[in-house]
Amino acid sequence: MQHAVELEELGEQITEASRFIEHAQEQLSQRIIGQHEVIRRIFIAMLVNGHILLEGVPGLAKTLIIRTFASAMNLKFQRIQFTPDMLPADLIGTMIYNPKDMEFYPRKGPVFANVILADEINRSPAKVQSALLEAMQEHQVTIGNQTFPLQEPFMVLATQNPIEHEGTYILPEAQVDRFMMKILVDYPSYDEELEIMLQSATTASKLPVIPVVQLHDISRARALIDRIYVDPRVQRYIVDLVVATRKPGKYGMANLEAMIEYGASPRASIFLLLAAKAHAFLQHRAYITPEDVKVIAYDTLRHRIRPGYEAEADNIKPDDIIRQILQHVQVP
Amino acid sequence: MNASFELQRVGLQKWLLFWLLFLFPMLSSSSLFGASGEVQPRITVRVIPDSVLVGDRIRCLITVYHSQKEVAALEGFDRSDSLASHSFELIRRKHSSSFPSSGSGSEEFELELAVFGRGQQPLPPFTVVFRDLQGMVTKRVPYTSSASLFVRVLTDSSMRELRPLKPPLKPSIPSLLMMSVIAGVFGVAGMVLLLLFLLKRTVRNSAERVDSGQVAQRKLRKLGSSLSAGMPPHECYEELSNIMRSFLENHYRISALEAVTQEIERDLKKIGVAGFESIMNLLKQADLVKFADCHPDVEESRQSLKKASEVIRSTRVPKSDG
Repeated sequence: MQHAVELEELGEQITEASRFIEHAQEQLSQRIIGQHEVIRRIFIAMLVNGHILLEGVPGLAKTLIIRTFASAMNLKFQRIQFTPDMLPADLIGTMIYNPKDMEFYPRKGPVFANVILADEINRSPAKVQSALLEAMQEHQVTIGNQTFPLQEPFMVLATQNPIEHEGTYILPEAQVDRFMMKILVDYPSYDEELEIMLQSATTASKLPVIPVVQLHDISRARALIDRIYVDPRVQRYIVDLVVATRKPGKYGMANLEAMIEYGASPRASIFLLLAAKAHAFLQHRAYITPEDVKVIAYDTLRHRIRPGYEAEADNIKPDDIIRQILQHVQVP
Repeated sequence: MNASFELQRVGLQKWLLFWLLFLFPMLSSSSLFGASGEVQPRITVRVIPDSVLVGDRIRCLITVYHSQKEVAALEGFDRSDSLASHSFELIRRKHSSSFPSSGSGSEEFELELAVFGRGQQPLPPFTVVFRDLQGMVTKRVPYTSSASLFVRVLTDSSMRELRPLKPPLKPSIPSLLMMSVIAGVFGVAGMVLLLLFLLKRTVRNSAERVDSGQVAQRKLRKLGSSLSAGMPPHECYEELSNIMRSFLENHYRISALEAVTQEIERDLKKIGVAGFESIMNLLKQADLVKFADCHPDVEESRQSLKKASEVIRSTRVPKSDG
């Protein structure tokens, strides 16, 4: 069977270029037990310039995963603990007066890093959240009257605690939409927990994480991902999935009409395609299959669907709605 | 001289005070009585309300004051002819007596009357009959009351509102008839459900008798003919993928038509089907054509059709042996 020559070559290049991911994953697996899907999605987001919202109860190694990921990828890491008294200047930086020169100099904030862990992003007020989300969108920060581009790759991983809402500032829908994926971090399995316990309950210092990735590896991977082939059937499938969240009745899911208050935005289609491409890249493929779309559909759509009153009354979560949509929308 | 004048003045004042406090009330109370000390009869009439619609009821309160040695009765309201001429109809009457002060008594008559006619209607005249304690009539006092009431009729153009009419009574359905109707409805519904159940079972049995493998083989033969007739190979692979999925769904009872290849792979692995590798190879080849812009030639398509036919046949063999 003859592949299109271009795709065949691209497939070989992808196999070659994606090796750095395997090396980084090896480093991560030395420190992190389980959470394979979370790690895979972090790689997907990093490959297509996306940001991630992590939701999970405390103690699930969210910070450890991100710190280890940044170390293995040889990226500058900054952890910012969001608090109610935080100011935008604490994040992006401010102008400092130098009495010697009698001039103001910009002091860059912690946002000037490659991987930002915005811990408990919903603890800080809206203006701080906006400052970060603006940096995420524009990839640049303005201090005083000077604009500074952020370092590439720039990736924000924000965490939220789903069980504590006292004294928090819930992220508005428009801001949540800027995150490529919302990942639900779950508890490890029994065996994983046993392994975590035995490995962590020691006073001995941990093995250092070896940086195994160069910046040009990431740039090369991104360039290859842009060339991944997307068949028109898969393109239509992605749009069908997103439109089905807005008009489920059109796809034979009239029961969902009252369940969804707002469907996913066009950003969902863009991120769904990008994430599917990155997923195909991780599978060493030069083309996308509907499987790539289905696998990342939950993480890409769950924060973009707002359940209606009836859904809340029946305790129907966005994941239940997405499951039904995936079952009903015809796969090409 | 001055002292005697002062004594006279004080005596006059005492005399006047005596008249004011004692004698004047006695004289004034005695004015109720006649010269012989008898109480003069007194009649009061009150009508509630003073404006009604035709056919409405009114309350007429007649109070008769008399001496304690007498009893009073009313005449005139009992005779229906007299009342009818005055457009009234007596519905009910109540009578009570009381003795508010020594030597006097009172009788209260409460009449409930239905009112007919129209316009200003005076209350009909009546007679108060007084009897002594032995029952002998002592006197008859005819009385024409000045009280009147206004009666409005329904057709009066001055009317602004209509009286609410009572809804007509619905004819009651005999409970026995109701019971039989309900039983009949339930019976029919039960029959329909039974028929549906039997129909469904028949359809399912007949569907089970249709061999999904035979259907798939027939479709593959048809597809081979189409390919020979000039069908483009990539369309042949799309159809082949559909035939295989349909076969897997019907044969193994898995959701294959709406599933992606990897989902089918997981499901088939769980079941542990024969020819798993061949099935997956065929589906993955079809995926390459569908999603990876692959261009198979006609010979490759024929080979794939042949392989699909073999796979389907191999899945049927253990079933027929078993």
